[in-house]
Amino acid sequence: MESNSSQMTPATVPVWDIGVRIFHWALLAAVFVAAMTGFFGSPDSLQIHLIAGISISLLVLFRLIWGFSGSTYARFRTFLFSPVKVRERIQEMRAGRHTRYIGHNPLGAWMIFALLASLIFIVCTGTVVLGGVFKQGPLAFITSFATGRFVQEIHQILAFGLVGLIGLHLAGVAYETVFGKEKLISAMISGNKPAGSNVPAPRFAPARPIVALIAFIALGMAGTTGVASFASRPGLGVPTAAIDPLYAKECGACHFAYHPSMGTAALWDGVLSHLDQHFGEDASLPDATRAQLAAYLKENSSEHWDTRIAHVLATANPKEPLRFTATRFWTRMHREIPDQVFASKAVGFKGACNACHSDAKTGLFAPQNIEIPEGARL
Amino acid sequence: MKPRHFLAFSLILLMPVMAYAGAAQKPIIDGYMAAAKAENAAFSGFSADRGKAFFLAKHDASPETPSCTTCHTADPTKAGQTRAGKDVAPMAVSKTPDRFTDAEKVEKWFTRNCQSVIGRACTAQEKGDFITFMASL
Repeated sequence: MESNSSQMTPATVPVWDIGVRIFHWALLAAVFVAAMTGFFGSPDSLQIHLIAGISISLLVLFRLIWGFSGSTYARFRTFLFSPVKVRERIQEMRAGRHTRYIGHNPLGAWMIFALLASLIFIVCTGTVVLGGVFKQGPLAFITSFATGRFVQEIHQILAFGLVGLIGLHLAGVAYETVFGKEKLISAMISGNKPAGSNVPAPRFAPARPIVALIAFIALGMAGTTGVASFASRPGLGVPTAAIDPLYAKECGACHFAYHPSMGTAALWDGVLSHLDQHFGEDASLPDATRAQLAAYLKENSSEHWDTRIAHVLATANPKEPLRFTATRFWTRMHREIPDQVFASKAVGFKGACNACHSDAKTGLFAPQNIEIPEGARL
Repeated sequence: MKPRHFLAFSLILLMPVMAYAGAAQKPIIDGYMAAAKAENAAFSGFSADRGKAFFLAKHDASPETPSCTTCHTADPTKAGQTRAGKDVAPMAVSKTPDRFTDAEKVEKWFTRNCQSVIGRACTAQEKGDFITFMASL
């Protein structure tokens, strides 16, 4: 009920039920978090972005169910308008006339469907990116890195498109508030609008929360089970074998034993043919040992894998072709980390990947597995 | 048991272990002894003091690694750290009993580190002095 109890206030009618209102504001929060982490996040923001994305998909699932089981104005059938109606609405706006709808007007209704469709596409493309680029989630077993990178572009374009739609949505709210004298924002909080409309009211429908809950749990569980089962399959082109013990012993004696998938065959060849001048030190090995390591590295070099690290580190810096930390990718991803962190005793130097990447030895480098050790924090 | 007896008992118990600590390195020291004699007719045995001076000396072959102590620290009973951040077990035999027991490993590291730090191969006498110093700690 509207708290304003003035005599002049016209009678109000309930329009947006509690389901619609909670959905609306929760969706706003989830989209805000997803957009902030997506557009402005650091390399380790993926987990928050994923939580926001999963929240969005659950909210959209709820809204789709509620569109058939919510109260009158929540139901899709009450705001399905033909394009003709939309054109009429635009013509009205141009002429400065205003037909009052209690629920969504035709233009606003199309915006709702556009926003929902846009969110569904963004969630789907995001899942492809997660599978192809990060080798995580339900599509990791089937999606190549190249596909993931391509779909990442689409995901970004759709995200910019969503920002545009949200801008139009806000413009629509502003137009209705100024020219239509509608208090749309408070209506989305209280759920009520003043009564009175020259458009015939849609057929009344009661909210069916139990039906909605059962449908949500059933579809949610089926979806979650399916996602979990696909997500448990090994990722496409992801190395699974443990590091060769000889490699771990010889190379890991002085530094983190870089996963073989981090280097191209050419890089490993370059390293092994100049072991006597190995980044300023003599690291020479007996020929037999060196030959064994060469065979292992050649068989497991980045060309054999489809992980993100295998692709992004493959583009060497021509000035220092053997140094991972000289690559553009490495520099870009670590630009926010101060030098003191690398110099600290807990890290040591820039090439100590495993100091912060707890999964570095698997070659996966998941954004969720980054933690700067306590002793290195500023 | 009286404290005096306990001390004696412990010493007797530990004697084989103490003897072993030096014995494990003997084959390698003997090897370098023979090589040192071959290198220099005037060779008269290894010296822990010379080994210590060698360990602490500064060289100018490489700005990154001017001395053994760059990575091993000036105290061989303490763990060191490579320039790439890996821990290095203490060099002192008392702290790391299997030091200087694998001839291949010993040669590998002398070959590498003498080249890196001094800019040349070490002599058999330098190696023997070094091990004698580390075994004396």
